[in-house]
Amino acid sequence: MRFPASRKIHYDSGPNLTPLVDVVMVILIFLMLVGSFGASEHFLTSNLPIKQAGTGQTHPPAGWVADTALEIRVDPRGAGFEAVAGRIRVNDAVQLENQLRQMLEQFRKAGTPPEKVQVIISPGKVVRYEHLIRVYESALSAGFTKVAFATSH
Amino acid sequence: MRRQPMPNIREGGVNVTPLIDVVMCLIIFFMLVAKIGITTGAEPMDLPETILGQKIEDLGNTLTLNVHRGAGNQPLVTYLPKDERANREIPLARNVGGKVHHPLLEVLKAARRNNPRFKVIIRAQKDLGYELIEPILQTCAAADLNNINFATAQVTELRQE
Repeated sequence: MRFPASRKIHYDSGPNLTPLVDVVMVILIFLMLVGSFGASEHFLTSNLPIKQAGTGQTHPPAGWVADTALEIRVDPRGAGFEAVAGRIRVNDAVQLENQLRQMLEQFRKAGTPPEKVQVIISPGKVVRYEHLIRVYESALSAGFTKVAFATSH
Repeated sequence: MRRQPMPNIREGGVNVTPLIDVVMCLIIFFMLVAKIGITTGAEPMDLPETILGQKIEDLGNTLTLNVHRGAGNQPLVTYLPKDERANREIPLARNVGGKVHHPLLEVLKAARRNNPRFKVIIRAQKDLGYELIEPILQTCAAADLNNINFATAQVTELRQE
């Protein structure tokens, strides 16, 4: 007995792609599960200033001229912090950034470029890390390029 | 002249060509973007959030130090030793037979000696006090490291100051 369908002409449309799709799908799922993208994390880079005394003292190279130091004292204040730099006394990161920007402008007018100013954050022992990072970020946002931490006061 | 009719072509099933195109694009994307096989020893923690920050491309030159609050309000540092798969605790100072050793300092000094581009990544919980981070920074200073990176989480929403 012959079926009528068997007499119809049948063309292959190309190679069988099913195994390829299987393998490709497995690779895709593997990459999606194993890959770590880490897109939500980044880093604030700090330099350690050259110290001639105390822990971590380093011998300065010949002809080395010390940078102008700008100390920012940070202390806890309630749930937040208080930052003191020269005559500035603020407890808010935005205010600190604005004030530091003005200070940087004064440094520029006095002939000191930002890269020759070493900002030193001097925190109290119990200052929270997140507040230090806020102060740090404010200094960077204001345009200072060299920011480091000092020992606690 | 009589024209030959076109043969009756029967499709074998669903056309998978667009599917393969899309999947191949996705695979190439994931292969380029995903960091596979790079384990820095970073432990999940609540990092402080910042808007500024930069990516570190040469993670191979870095050592990630995870700082926690340890017993007696002392810093507890963990890191991923080379050629190991699990993080290990490393003390800042250890008394062995009346002699004080500084394991973290020794590790940092050795890494600095072997790699001039060596840098440290510090990861700490955002509510940690500076008193626990300070000894790590002092150890880095003693190891003559001048490139220290603080891991922060990228801010996704505008801050309410």
